[in-house]
Amino acid sequence: MSLSDPLASSGRARPTRHESFLAYGGFRYLKLAALAGAVSLLIYVIDRPYGGRYGGSWAGYTLGTVGALLIAWLTWFGYRKRSYTEDSGRLTARLSAHVYLGLVLLLIATLHTGFHFGWNVHTLAYVLMCLVIASGVFGVLCYARYPRLMTENRGNMTMQQMLGRIASLNDELRTRAVTLDDATTILINRAVESTAIGGSVWRQLSGRYPGCTTAAAIAGLNAQAAAAAVAPDQEDAQRQIRLLLDEKTTLLGRIRRDISHKAMMDIWLYFHVPLSFALLAALSAHILSVFFLW
Amino acid sequence: MEVDVTQLTRRGSAVMRRSHRVSAERVTFGRGTNNEVPLVDIRIELSAAALSKVDDGLVVESLGQSPLRVNGSSVMTASVKPGDEVLIGPYRIALTEPPEGVDAALSIELVQPIGNSLSALVAGSRITVAAAAIGKRSMSWTALLVIVVACIVAPIAVYWAGLVPPWHERAPHPGPAGIVTLSWNAGQLSNPHRAFAVDCAACHQHAFIAVSDKACLTCHSQVGAHAEVHADLGPLHAKLATMRCTQCHQEHRGLKGLVIREAGLCVNCHRDLAGAAPGAGIKDVTGFPMGHPEFRATLVADPTGHRLVRHQLGTDPAPRDHPGLHFSHAAHLVPAGFPALGYKPMVCADCHKPEPGGLGFLPITYKGECQSCHALKFDSSVGLPWPDATVPHGDDSGIVAAVWNYYAGKALQTGITPPPAPPGVTRRAAGTPPPPAGTPPETVKAWVAKRTEEALRGVVLEPKRGCAYCHLGTGPNGKFELDKILPSPLAPAATTRVRIVAPVVMEARFLPKAQFDHAAHATSKCEDCHAARKSQSSSDVLIPGIQTCLRCHGGETAALRTQSTCITCHVFHHTDFGPMRMSTAKH
Repeated sequence: MSLSDPLASSGRARPTRHESFLAYGGFRYLKLAALAGAVSLLIYVIDRPYGGRYGGSWAGYTLGTVGALLIAWLTWFGYRKRSYTEDSGRLTARLSAHVYLGLVLLLIATLHTGFHFGWNVHTLAYVLMCLVIASGVFGVLCYARYPRLMTENRGNMTMQQMLGRIASLNDELRTRAVTLDDATTILINRAVESTAIGGSVWRQLSGRYPGCTTAAAIAGLNAQAAAAAVAPDQEDAQRQIRLLLDEKTTLLGRIRRDISHKAMMDIWLYFHVPLSFALLAALSAHILSVFFLW
Repeated sequence: MEVDVTQLTRRGSAVMRRSHRVSAERVTFGRGTNNEVPLVDIRIELSAAALSKVDDGLVVESLGQSPLRVNGSSVMTASVKPGDEVLIGPYRIALTEPPEGVDAALSIELVQPIGNSLSALVAGSRITVAAAAIGKRSMSWTALLVIVVACIVAPIAVYWAGLVPPWHERAPHPGPAGIVTLSWNAGQLSNPHRAFAVDCAACHQHAFIAVSDKACLTCHSQVGAHAEVHADLGPLHAKLATMRCTQCHQEHRGLKGLVIREAGLCVNCHRDLAGAAPGAGIKDVTGFPMGHPEFRATLVADPTGHRLVRHQLGTDPAPRDHPGLHFSHAAHLVPAGFPALGYKPMVCADCHKPEPGGLGFLPITYKGECQSCHALKFDSSVGLPWPDATVPHGDDSGIVAAVWNYYAGKALQTGITPPPAPPGVTRRAAGTPPPPAGTPPETVKAWVAKRTEEALRGVVLEPKRGCAYCHLGTGPNGKFELDKILPSPLAPAATTRVRIVAPVVMEARFLPKAQFDHAAHATSKCEDCHAARKSQSSSDVLIPGIQTCLRCHGGETAALRTQSTCITCHVFHHTDFGPMRMSTAKH
């Protein structure tokens, strides 16, 4: 590791095995969030303003201010997680706090509304907040599930290794197919030149490739064999080509699954981040309008 | 034919050549090993092309499905000569000047190599979401700017530029400017205000300043004040003066309306009103039903002086009303009924008719309610020149005149029985002319006067049919001062009207500080609250106390009673106190 280990010098013990960000510090931030939630509920319950609870009573203002500050602090995490020069605290700690305080924000903001909703910018801010939190929950679930699946799927290979193996399989296929007839070489050529890996976001996520040329080549070879249209001197070459194609298919399946898992781990952030900025805008509109039309 | 074939391989700027001689009738090119010039590439057909010698030169033709590119043109067959170029798949075949004894010389070069498979593979694949999706940054900026423009800039612009016309000028259709402002609407407006919901500036007249009383009073200018202008309220005067409309009336709470109904709003001041403002004469109320004092009915203390007094109900001795009328409810509600009404028992509604709106009842009048049974007719035994003569009700001088007229009429018709001549009266001497006609003798006048007086005593004081049956006199203890009206001796009529019957003062509202709506309680029976059937005297106060109400009504959070709060029965704005004054609070 590095020559100077800042944590070692500060005396804090580095954990010897992986500690999930959810369990960080003995669930310290879960407890903190639970306490915040309990206090918010208490504030909500003890205030009984004339005319019913709503966002403009003293409890409403308190919960709203806390909620707004929380939103700002949670958004700031997106900036802080990229700064590797800071030494105070660890990213795991910040992420753990981000997740749990983000969850309790849902409770705090809902209490702030007093359960009044309508077709306006105020409910828009609330809905955006709920979508941000939902996408965040989805992200947490993805991070809990997919890394293990990816490791199991890949075995011992990295993506680069897998792609390199596909490339060499392509070369080998090209070489061996030279002696085959034209119909077969056309299929093999297509399988080699248009190897479908990845593509649009939807294809990456679904892992389904209906136009896979390798599968088409295998199907073509099967059709030839079924029609007994294979010349005897080509049988051997065809068998070898089949073996190569099968290995390529297996490897392609692995790669595509890997891409799909990785895409799931990435896609939620494409909702989480833009929705957060939309939320910031709507929140500003909400706060401004409430004081503008006092 | 003899053909020199040279394989060219370039590496950088260096070129390697490898030549060999081919002898064949026809030189074929293709992937198959049987070709004279094998082109080992998967992209080429087994038999792709053939070069033949003909009389005037060389011809190249395609042997497979794909055409050849000869000097840039796609053809299946073409004549070629040294200097031409033929492209077969990825190979370029250039014909050069053949040496002596050779029919053709050509060089073959692979001009489209397969290249690096891995980089080709990677270049053709988008394997991350980042490679395939719109960037997070651009999406974030777009979302942020859209919302900022639509929900911050546009509404502010609409408000400050006054793009929504005032509600009384605007047609009902909101328009795009109205839709923009509605995005800031914090909650549905109450039903009456929905008509101008898009015109925020109707109430929110200044940005960042709370809705002022002025905005409300623009339309609601005639709403009544809560206390009289010069009422003595002590320190509560300042509190009342700084109250704003919006403390009790909050908008954006949906269709249910603006008024906040919680009793706490009222109790805050009324819990110690008697201490803080004793001049108001209002008892402390700390809540409902616990903490609400017993009702005080407004009763007539003294009918002649029109003095009213508020007396608490349910005391011992019981409160007494003085309407100036003898009346027994019990006597009228007898089950046997009365002949004049066909022996059907009377019910409350026979006399107490609800007023329009149903809040209370129309005033009870002699003409409307009593006359049908209690007509003041002369006896039929009395022969009158006019039929169905009645004594006029309510007009004391008229009664005197009616009776006097009756006897005067009788005197004219039938003559009179002169009283025996008192001793000493001078008889008219015989032969002297009688008094001129038209002048009734003094004796006639006196007779009429005497008979009138006797009759009046009977009419007025007759216990079964006279005024005294129902009414009280103006004298002390209700005595009838007949001397006031008796003509004695038949003097010219008094120049002022006299009254001997005390005026009747019947309260229309015994509890004027509250609004009890009889129409809302129409499904109850009168007797459920008013013990009229047993009441024999008109001084009984038949108004129920608070315990009667509490049979059904409970507090504002009552579970098993009708939830009631202060404004269920009481009113805050009293129009008779003058119009509501604007708050003196800062905003």
